[in-house]
Amino acid sequence: MIMVTGGAYQGKLDFVCRHFGLESADIANGSTCDFEEVLSAKCVKSYHRFIARLIAQGVDCVQFTERLCTENKDAIIILDEIGCGIIPAEKAERKRREITGKCGCIIARNSDDVIRVTCGLPVYIKGGKK
Amino acid sequence: MITLVTGGTKCGKSGYAEKLIDRLICPKYYIATINPVGDAAQEVIAKRMKMHTQKKYVTIECPRDIAYADIPIGSAVLVEEIGRLCANEMFVDGRILRTVDKIVSGLELIGAKASELVIVANDIGRDGISYSPELMEYIKEMGEISRRITAFSDNVIECVYSVPVALKGSALLD
Repeated sequence: MIMVTGGAYQGKLDFVCRHFGLESADIANGSTCDFEEVLSAKCVKSYHRFIARLIAQGVDCVQFTERLCTENKDAIIILDEIGCGIIPAEKAERKRREITGKCGCIIARNSDDVIRVTCGLPVYIKGGKK
Repeated sequence: MITLVTGGTKCGKSGYAEKLIDRLICPKYYIATINPVGDAAQEVIAKRMKMHTQKKYVTIECPRDIAYADIPIGSAVLVEEIGRLCANEMFVDGRILRTVDKIVSGLELIGAKASELVIVANDIGRDGISYSPELMEYIKEMGEISRRITAFSDNVIECVYSVPVALKGSALLD
């Protein structure tokens, strides 16, 4: 599994497509795809938005993410870093950030490589060529 | 040695900071900066119980005036966390006070006594949102505190979804 993270609009998807030679058909959009689709897609983008959708449907996000890591071991998962801000006043938003954090940690733990993209520049923070 | 561990919400910074202290064989102190009232109280109390009973840390409640935390020379100290300490010091009786010098000098004092000091801070300035003037002052204050702590720290680690990234010094743990 490979994880690609970073701030919004920093070039994560562009990097993934160029570096791994992917086309749009290879990529499941976490904002809109069917839930089961992520379990077989080569790449999932906006996984942080996917988690928001799971929460809205009452699905256990941690359990689903662990299932993702087991059933789609070779997937590339793209999710934004969303926790670097003022703790939200709304309880639901606090919960979303916490759950996203937990799920992101699960994916990172299961990934051979974790790449952080900033201003289009990829940095391997786990794995990568030594 | 002094290490600053920073990062966003649920990024693994607390767990990482604990591991840095857990591995040491010396008296361990946990300085808790949160006021244990409101919704967060139960989680805070549970955390302190764990630190005290399972990990044998002596817990010191210190929502303000961290310079006065009673730390024996040579002990290992974990401070959690700077965001709440800053808020407690800054917003008092309807006023907004400057806190940078007070907090930084307090931490330097502890750092001079402790054999190992690990400070947990919060990265709160990257959501791109413009808040009220008071909150922007808080974000600015936290930014300056983080920079001043970095200046006297041996290591600065950012946790990104639990992956430690050494911004200064080394990560010490994988």
